[in-house]
Amino acid sequence: MSEQTAQDAASDGAVDDVLLEDAVEAAAAERAEKLSTAPKADDGIAVPSLGALGMLRWTWRQLTSMRIALVLLFLLSLAAIPGSILPQQSIDPSKVLTFFQSHKTWAPILDKFQLFNVFESVWFEAIYGLLFISLIGCIVPRSWAHFKAMRANPPAAPRNLKRLPVHASFSTTADADEVLALAAKRLKDRRFKTVRGSDRSGGWVSSEKGFLRETGNLLFHLSLIGILAGVALGHFFGFKGAVLVTEGTGFSDTVTSYDSLTLGPGVGAQDLPNFSFVLNKFSATYQTSGDQFAQPRTFDAYVKFKPSPTSTAQNVDVQVNQPLSINGTNVFLEGHGYSPVVEVKDGKGRVLYDGPSTFLEQDEYFDSSGAIKAPAYTSGGTDLGFQGWFLPDAVIQSGAMPASIFPAAYNPMLILSAFSGNLNMNGGEDQSVYSLDTSAMKQLNVKAKGAAAAAGNALELKVGQTATLPNNLGSITFVGVKQWAQFNIAYDPGQKVVLPSAILAVLGLVGSLGLRRRRVWVRVSEQADGTRLVEVAGLARTEGATPTAEVTQTAQALAAAVRQPAPDGASA
Amino acid sequence: MSINENFAHYSNLFIALALVAYAAAFFAYCGEWAFGTSSRFGKSVEALDAEGKKVAKVGKQAAAPKAESVNATDGGNGVTVLTRAVAEDEEPTIAGDNLRAEILGRFAVMATFIGFGFHFAGVLFRGLAAHRVPWANMYEFSCAASLAMSFAYLTLLVLRKKVRWMGLPVTAIVLMTLGLAYTVLYTDAEELVPALHSYWLYIHVTAAVISTGAFGVATVATALYLLKSSNEEGSLRRFNSAFDRLPSSVALDRTAYRVIAFIFPLWTFAIMAGAVWAEKAWGRYWGWDPKETWSFIVWVVYAAYLHARATHGWKGKAAAYVALAAFACVLFNYFGVNTLLTGKHSYAGL
Repeated sequence: MSEQTAQDAASDGAVDDVLLEDAVEAAAAERAEKLSTAPKADDGIAVPSLGALGMLRWTWRQLTSMRIALVLLFLLSLAAIPGSILPQQSIDPSKVLTFFQSHKTWAPILDKFQLFNVFESVWFEAIYGLLFISLIGCIVPRSWAHFKAMRANPPAAPRNLKRLPVHASFSTTADADEVLALAAKRLKDRRFKTVRGSDRSGGWVSSEKGFLRETGNLLFHLSLIGILAGVALGHFFGFKGAVLVTEGTGFSDTVTSYDSLTLGPGVGAQDLPNFSFVLNKFSATYQTSGDQFAQPRTFDAYVKFKPSPTSTAQNVDVQVNQPLSINGTNVFLEGHGYSPVVEVKDGKGRVLYDGPSTFLEQDEYFDSSGAIKAPAYTSGGTDLGFQGWFLPDAVIQSGAMPASIFPAAYNPMLILSAFSGNLNMNGGEDQSVYSLDTSAMKQLNVKAKGAAAAAGNALELKVGQTATLPNNLGSITFVGVKQWAQFNIAYDPGQKVVLPSAILAVLGLVGSLGLRRRRVWVRVSEQADGTRLVEVAGLARTEGATPTAEVTQTAQALAAAVRQPAPDGASA
Repeated sequence: MSINENFAHYSNLFIALALVAYAAAFFAYCGEWAFGTSSRFGKSVEALDAEGKKVAKVGKQAAAPKAESVNATDGGNGVTVLTRAVAEDEEPTIAGDNLRAEILGRFAVMATFIGFGFHFAGVLFRGLAAHRVPWANMYEFSCAASLAMSFAYLTLLVLRKKVRWMGLPVTAIVLMTLGLAYTVLYTDAEELVPALHSYWLYIHVTAAVISTGAFGVATVATALYLLKSSNEEGSLRRFNSAFDRLPSSVALDRTAYRVIAFIFPLWTFAIMAGAVWAEKAWGRYWGWDPKETWSFIVWVVYAAYLHARATHGWKGKAAAYVALAAFACVLFNYFGVNTLLTGKHSYAGL
């Protein structure tokens, strides 16, 4: 591969990639031939050391070839598919758990292949890792070649301009130098990189334009590296957490108050910002008619917020697209639901539990499920537990399970199964707050007379109602309804790198796909009749960019500018 | 702000009228193809065939010598400038010399314009009714994306680009999309769910709508390119008379590439704008939500197409198949992800 070809090939986008590709392949083939042990026996000793190096070099060339990049791109798109179909640990861990419960054989096998964590799996990382190595291996030499190409002069004009795809000519009696100077000026004014020269057939101007195309191409690929670096930075120095807050309660930014918290390796608990807030009120409105009945329309979380322990509190309305922002840490409103407030007393009238319990929404009308745990007043006593449903707008039809018909709390109702026994809350194991461990409990017969048959053995309570438990075990009162809001709290310093990189990537793409690279030549030669023939010709260096108009206009402008009478009928 | 029921009603009416006009256009385009005869070029090839000369058989346009156009223009000062350029492909007409076909063709273009007018009014009134951009659910998105496609075709036509051959496939796709939207995906004009209360809806979704429509156009060109090039290689001879009236495979391939090269940066921007919005609404700019994942897959496969075109051994047909695969991903990203997978991109009325 001569230097000229290498330089052109490396710097010329679509068309010349093929040349590069071919050259790389030829080189690889040549090398492979040399490496072959069969033909020459006397190379025997040298082969291993050469071989290792050669193999390495061969692998490198393969890896940085367009063909392998293409294969890796396909692999990357295929590898992403399972991540969208199977539940992912990083997106919704509870769904992964459900999947494990319902696919006892398959789930562990899929898990072995990290299919529940596709985007952090070894194989996904391997693919994009190789892709980025391939990209760097391709882009760095190309950047250098492009840098040299931008400094170098356009190549000399071809001898026969008529063979180019577009060619314009006229005859003139004007001086060759004058025409060439005019041509060079015109092309330079149009930001062509221009050079003059001469050979046996006469003087010429050679010019090229559209270097920004390759610049854009390189900028785009380099920006991808910037995006990757930003993502890594965010993972290392960022954190994200989630917290569920019920109306009237608050949150302070310490590790223990998060429901879940993922700290980057570069962040410690002491780095968490020390703000705090209290959820005063959560309000939601819903569509009340039509096709989109019950769809949410507004969410507002009214919080009292303190940026630091010493600062004064301020009232803020947090909405879905309006996060609360403190020094780069953002608090986002992520979800909401209901927390029925109940009071549970034991047989002696002592309060075992009084407060809100978080219930989780199960459908669009906010039929929510959850549990209420009331440990015995003295340890060793009888614990009481309830689990079941909260319906914000309950309708009871005979023969059907009571159900909610609207997400707003217009007619709240609790439907609870009651249990007594041991809640196992001191077992040391983490218990779900949304369900009871009934292994050491006995279900109580609490079926009320007027209750819906389909509800089964369950209490039905409206706000203000109290139910007495059998065997003098105590009572439960439905005191009222509160709402909870879930907040995501995130800090990602990588964004400062990712966003500018992404913007540069798009700009690079626009340049790389939108600009045309082309060459225009002007040649002036003496003719037999004493006049001079002026030829203008052009060549596209990128697909479908033949500069027909540019060549024609240059020829016309030159013809008009030389101001020398010329015999009509050019001898083109 | 409440919904303007009158405007919502007008919108539905206009969309229905647009469907009627597009249907008329579609049948007229069909008639134009059916009644039309091969172009003069095709005829001359046939004539050569009949004379027993083997020349034409070899590969018709592909083997024909590249024609040169020579243009003499007055350069001023009495100087004549001669320009010679490799001629762009001669555009064959679909009607050929058949008068009936020509009338049908003109009617078809007119009906497409009328359909576009109703279609535009339908989308506009939907927006006026709901006081927001009219592409916030699957019905509206389908209406808007097909409007973008129709707009792209008609703009190229007005600019006198050689895209008449796109008439039939474009109206077919617009008719299908709009019909599906009107019958299956329909949902009343309503206000937005809180997640969509953002000006990013204008930026992100608009870019996505235009990209989707344009990828559709590129796919039409790609599919026709594959058919035409296999016809040029000698298969599908039964349809020679129709294929003769299509542009050359080189021209079709170039059209597909240009559209994709033009729209790929916009798709990149659509994803980016989505990421900025996601950061604002959900607290992370990228979370591998199914819609994000599939947008990424679409992006990667179109990137593969652009690389394939520059790679030895992948040029031409192989690259075209990659482009088709990419559009299959676009369709799955739209229909599949919205209906089969659950993620954060599920809004009212799908």
